[in-house]
Amino acid sequence: MSLSSDQAAESLKQIDRTGRRSAQAWSYANSSPFFVMWGVVWMIGYTGSDLYPRYAGPLWLTLSVAGVAGSMMLGRTRARAGEPHPGTNRHAGSRFVASFLAIGAFVAATYAIFGHATPAQQAAFTPLIVALFYALLGIWKGLRFLVTGIAVAALTLGGFFFLHQHFMLWMAAVGGGALVLAGLWLRKV
Amino acid sequence: MEQPDNLIHQPVRLKIMAALKALPAGEKLEFVRLKALSEATEGNLGSHIQTLEQAGYVSVEKDFAGNRPRTRIALTRKGQHAFENYVAYLRGIIELQAKP
Repeated sequence: MSLSSDQAAESLKQIDRTGRRSAQAWSYANSSPFFVMWGVVWMIGYTGSDLYPRYAGPLWLTLSVAGVAGSMMLGRTRARAGEPHPGTNRHAGSRFVASFLAIGAFVAATYAIFGHATPAQQAAFTPLIVALFYALLGIWKGLRFLVTGIAVAALTLGGFFFLHQHFMLWMAAVGGGALVLAGLWLRKV
Repeated sequence: MEQPDNLIHQPVRLKIMAALKALPAGEKLEFVRLKALSEATEGNLGSHIQTLEQAGYVSVEKDFAGNRPRTRIALTRKGQHAFENYVAYLRGIIELQAKP
């Protein structure tokens, strides 16, 4: 049996199509627990910020450190299970910390340039940066990341402009909820 | 002309091999995910995986994730080599027939 050029080209297309879907599904599945965990972090952080606004700063600092530590632990656990996250290798721990510090430095520099930001503005700014990262990731890696980024950005802006009084609770329920749902969605093939 | 590897040439097995080849080295794919990616029925997929396993192209690992039974499939070194040869064979056909 020998194949025609058209049959060979069709087989190569099929290989490419299936390979891309497989790589994407793998990337989604490995990202899923990180989305769920950070969704829960957002829920706790925004709810706490609404109930105890005076302690919002220390609360977010604690949650952020816990989130980074949790991300590192998740990465290690998955690496042990033979399902390493794309960023999980021997430098993953320091990369998580460095990424977090880079985002923190960017946020601090932005506040320094633009002056005083209200708690609501601060609460909206970081999710917009997160949404931007997801959108960029989505443009390169897969539609579901892009959809998540757009959803987080739209929900953040919607809450900021139309539900200003209850913005923190809105972000807890809808912003955190969106991340958790996105994490569950990413698990599905 | 050289003959294609009939084990891989079959459409469902081609999808299985392509899906596994796209993973990072040493990674395994769960049966349920492979079923979705290959768009095959459970029985059909199981039968093709068995054929590939008998040829030494894939390895199958059965365990439990919590209380849930789990079957994971990975490409072996032999399978990777065979798949690369098959892809080279396909490219060879196209190049050969493209020559005037």
